[in-house]
Parts: sequence; structure tokens; C-alpha cells
Amino acid sequence: MAVDARPVARSAPFLRGRRRSTATTAGLIGTPIVWLVVFFLVPVGIAALYSVGVFSFFPGEQRFTLTYWKDFVDGSVYLDVFWRSVKISLLTSVIAVLLAYPLAYYLALVAGSRKYVLLLILISPFFVSYFLRLFAMKVLLGDQGVVNSFAYWTGIRDPEHPIPQLIYSQFAVVTTLIVIYVPFVALPIFAALENLDRRLLEAASDLGASRWQAFRKVTLPLSLPGVLAAFVFVFIPTLGEYFTPLLVGGTSGHMFGNSIADAFLSSQDWQTGSMLSVFLLATVAILMAVFARFLSMQRLETE
Amino acid sequence: MDIAISTTGRHLLKALFAVLCLLLYAPLALIVVFSFNDADIPTELPEFPFKGLTLNAYREFIANPELTAALVTSAKVAAAASAAAVVLGLLASMALVRRRFFGKALASAFLLSPLVIPYVVFGIALLILFHEISFPLSMWTIVIGHTVIALPFTILILSPRLARIDVRLEEAAHDLGASGFRTFRSITLPLMTPAVVSAFLVAYVVSFDEVVIAQFVAGNTVTFPIYLFSQLRFPTNFPQVLAVAVVVMAASLLVVLAAEIGRRIVERRLHIELEGRADEAPPPTSAEPAAPQAERV
Repeated sequence: MAVDARPVARSAPFLRGRRRSTATTAGLIGTPIVWLVVFFLVPVGIAALYSVGVFSFFPGEQRFTLTYWKDFVDGSVYLDVFWRSVKISLLTSVIAVLLAYPLAYYLALVAGSRKYVLLLILISPFFVSYFLRLFAMKVLLGDQGVVNSFAYWTGIRDPEHPIPQLIYSQFAVVTTLIVIYVPFVALPIFAALENLDRRLLEAASDLGASRWQAFRKVTLPLSLPGVLAAFVFVFIPTLGEYFTPLLVGGTSGHMFGNSIADAFLSSQDWQTGSMLSVFLLATVAILMAVFARFLSMQRLETE
Repeated sequence: MDIAISTTGRHLLKALFAVLCLLLYAPLALIVVFSFNDADIPTELPEFPFKGLTLNAYREFIANPELTAALVTSAKVAAAASAAAVVLGLLASMALVRRRFFGKALASAFLLSPLVIPYVVFGIALLILFHEISFPLSMWTIVIGHTVIALPFTILILSPRLARIDVRLEEAAHDLGASGFRTFRSITLPLMTPAVVSAFLVAYVVSFDEVVIAQFVAGNTVTFPIYLFSQLRFPTNFPQVLAVAVVVMAASLLVVLAAEIGRRIVERRLHIELEGRADEAPPPTSAEPAAPQAERV
């Protein structure tokens, strides 16, 4: 009898534990999920409803309509701004990656034992407020800014005619975004190069490859996932950039994020603004899905 | 021969690294330098050349009640938002690392998705939500928004740390009769402390810095970045703004560096104590703080 009782006595708390475990799991994962559903998913959902006219800022005109979407697709000014944003983001991310690659390569494969100190030096500006760095670029590029002041002082240009396109232009937006993002972009490339097995390079060398061939056939392909991740890390956030174009972009550097904000803040056109928001969000979601797919395929191939 | 780089290439890369670092730091250095500039009349942007050095801007900023109030508001918002994000991040990490449940991959992707949402879109969506439910805009609406965007950062910091804690320690506590909460309080949480602190600090910096979402849901609340922005558009107090920019810059760098160094020291000690791997652990005076971590991965 005593022998039989033992497994029963042991299994009871075990069962209780299991049941409690399921309940606590639901509580653990449920709380943050509910928070995000209420304050993240629901707001986006309401914005989507606004974009089809089901909700509206002014009472009495709520009915389903696709007018806002149709106007947008039929070549509105917003579509032009969207393509301009894509162009600016693409330019920024490509240049940032091209600049960051040699930096990451230097750190991971050349710098030796000092690499972590140098990496910290490189990424430290990223810990400084985005807004302050933006602000610094305005101080640098402005009409009375450092570059122009220097030009006036040395007499290269007179104060009535500051260097054109230095600020309030697409050039200013791209330059500022590159300065802000380069430290961040170097990180994933550094991680990819750091995980590279150096013996592969030695093997390539032993088989008669030149440095350039070893780079092209071994290092570059193996670091591509890092490069792609770096590209995504710049391209996605810059696509919805708001303050950089607002402060250094002027009219020609106006981006999609500014169009969205203006629709709400200036023209009080919540329907159009919501439609633009949902469109940008859908674009980002599709891009993320494509990149994630591509990255996992890359990983499968290398493994 | 070094297959990775030729001697010329090494020098070229070194030079490129130095030049780019210089370019990245130049704008920040400018702000520091010009915060000490002695301008007769405060102008919109710094004058070149220098007229002299002064601490006037710093004195004025301490005496400016609007500016200090904005700093205090931001500090409060960031404290509330990062505390909430850390609690939610802890719950999520414990579920994602320690439990099995249906739809885990989806839940994890959803919890990290605020990382990629454009802040303009999120700020506006939140504004619409608060408008629809007639929720008054205040400091707390900013806190709600910042909690959402800080959550993925806390999960990304807390989960890997939790995954490295030996699950047998928790099982042992459970076998000795501790309840789930008691196990968490006496075993898991103390071991997680370094990660909790760095998650809190990263969330704090993210919230303190965030201005796009804040701008839409702030109502009449003025946070520090919102104040900075207003000064940029109507630059009457420009030198003061430069001065305060320098103070905040120095403070955030110090906080991040201190958090990182502190986390490394504490984690190393925990590893020595818990895993009895004192012989494998590197000496505390190691010149490369990141190296031991990389080896463990």
C-alpha cells in the first residue's frame, strides 16, 4: 500500500504544476501581447478604417469609400513624394553600406586586438541622441553654419550668397542620414565578417587565389547576409523619416513622412493622412517579409 | 603573407577609418565647442570665428525654468515608460525562453514588430486611437507610446540573458518547494539583475530621445526633445540649447558606457560563482571586455 501511494502522491503536484504552468504561460505572454494589441494593432486598424472613410474626423460623413486610395494611385502628388522618398532612402542606404563595409572589414579582419575598442569608438555617436546629431548637422550645413561661415571668413563666398544646395536640399537630407546611420550600419557587417572562418581564406590562398580573388569568392559572399541586414536597418527607418527632411530638407527634400504629418497637422485631412500611413506601413511590412525570406534562404545556402 | 589585406591596403583602410570617425565626431565636437562661444547677441547659428570662451550659456540654461521643466518631464516619461517596458519585456522573455506554446514564432515576431514601424505612422495611429476613445492627451499618452517602442529592445536584451541561466537552478528551487513566484523572486530575478538594469537604461535612452511619437500625442506636455525642436524653429535661446545639448550628450554617453561596463563586470562575477568556471573566466583586468562573451557564444 505504502509503495503504491508514492507515485500517486508524486504525480498530484506534478499535475497541478502542469495546469498552473499553462495558465501562467498565457499570463506571461498574454500581458505584453494585449498591450501591443490595444496600443499598436488597434490604432493601426482604426487608421485603416479612416483610410476607407468608415471613420472620420468630422461627424456625419461616415461611409465606406475607396476614393482616397483611388486618388492616391491615380498619380497624386503624394505618389511622387513616395518615389522621391524611395530614391533618397535607397541612395542613403547604398552609400552608407559602401562606406561601412571597409570600416567593418578593417575592424574584423585587420585591426587585431584593438578591434573592440575601435568598434566602441565607431558606434558611440549612435548613443548620442538622434535629435542632437541632426541639430549638429544643421549647425554644420546652415546658411550661417560652420561651412558657410568659414567660406565667408576666408572670402570664398560673400554672406549674401551662401553655398547653394548645402542645406534645404536632397543632398543635405542624404548627407545627414548617412552621418547618422553609418555607425549603426557597420555593426551587422562587422558581426558577419567576425564570424568568418579565417581558415577559409588561408585555404583559398593555399590554392593559389590572389587577395582580390579570395575576397570576391570567399569573404564577400559569406558577408552578404550582414550586408543585406545592414541595408534593411537603414532603408526601412529612413523611408519613414520625418525630422531630418523637416529640419534640413526644405521643399525639395520633403519626404513621405512629412506628407503624412502635414495631412494631420496642417490640412486636418485625417482620411488622406491615414491612407498614406497605411500605405507606408504596408510597404514596410512587404519589404520586411521579402528581406526575411531572402535572409533565411541565404542562411540555408551557407549552411 | 596576410591573405586578408596587403600592407598598402592596411594603411588605406586605417586612414579611411580615421577620416570617417573624424567626420562622424566633427558635428558633435562642433556643438561642444560652440556651446562655449562668447557671442554678443545670440544669433540663430554659431558665428565664425570665435569671439571668446564663456560659461554664460551654461549659467543661463540652469536659470531657465522652461528648459529645466522640460528635462524633468522627459526624465519622468522615460522612467515610467522604461519601467513598464522592462516589466512587459520580462514577462514576454520568460514565456518565449522558458515555455512552449502554440504560435510562439508569431508571438515573437509580433512583439518585435514595433522595431520597424515608422514612428510617424505609429504616432498618428495612437493620436487617432486617443481621439476615438476621447482619452485626454497628457504625459501618460507619451508613456504609452514609448512603452510600445521600447518593448522590443527590452526583449532583445532580456531573452538572451535568460536563455543563459541554467534552468536546473529554477527546477531545484521548485523541487525544494518554492512557488513559481518565489522561484522567480529568489533565483531568476537576482540572476537577471544586470540584464534588467541594461534593458531599463536602453529603454530609458530610447524614450528620452524619442520625439516623433511624443510630438503627436503630447498635447500640451513639453518634453526635452520637443523643447529643443521649438528652440530650433524660433531660436531665441540658441546658445543655451547648445549648452544643454552638451550636458545631455555627456550624460547619455556616460550612462550607456557605465551600463555596459557594469553589466560585463557583474555577469563575469556571476559566471564565476555559478558555473565554477573561475579557471576558464578571463582575468578581470582583460583589455578586451567583449572578447570573453564572443567566445562563449
